[in-house]
Amino acid sequence: MLILSRKAGESVVIDGRIIVKIVRLDGDLVKVGIEAPSDVPVHRQEVYDEIQKANREAVTHNRPRTLPKLPQHAVRGA
Amino acid sequence: MSTVVETPQVNTITVRLPLGLLGFEHIKSYWLISNPEEEPFAWMQVPDEGDLAFLVVPPAAVLPDYSPVLSDDDVAFLAIESPDDVIIYNIVTIRPDGTSSVNLKGPIVINRHSMTGKQVVLANSPYLIQHPLGSA
Repeated sequence: MLILSRKAGESVVIDGRIIVKIVRLDGDLVKVGIEAPSDVPVHRQEVYDEIQKANREAVTHNRPRTLPKLPQHAVRGA
Repeated sequence: MSTVVETPQVNTITVRLPLGLLGFEHIKSYWLISNPEEEPFAWMQVPDEGDLAFLVVPPAAVLPDYSPVLSDDDVAFLAIESPDDVIIYNIVTIRPDGTSSVNLKGPIVINRHSMTGKQVVLANSPYLIQHPLGSA
């Protein structure tokens, strides 16, 4: 991991096209601004990890014999 | 005299995900397969890898008042001009023990006109990544 020190208002450039800026320091909280092309997804890591894990758990090679039950109000024809 | 056997029409349409799904970023395109017998569930299947697929469901079938708030970036990315442009599918997990859940925190938001979509992360919403469903 490359570790750099930045003051509020300073930035880091990645791959010549992604800019990470330290917008503000607020006690324990660092406000980070990210400029990236729209084909570069940016996520908070902990949420990314959880959703990635959920996606991997969900992908299936087999078709289930029965599908989950949905809440009653959603029953077709009701 | 001939007998006409009516088979349910399975509808298949291609959905492009330029950024893929989280953890599956290399897969940019899926077949969205809807079988009327499985409604409202549908399948997002990886083209040419017939056995790799995600079970999905429109969130209104789970939570009628589901209202994800999209960021300006996501709206721009998907070229959304009005709520009518949007269709949403959420990924369902069925576990080996038969319990199941649906990911309401990471919906797949699709522009119905371009059939281009994105898995959006609703970071500040109260929705769960594992919203429980009834057992399969």
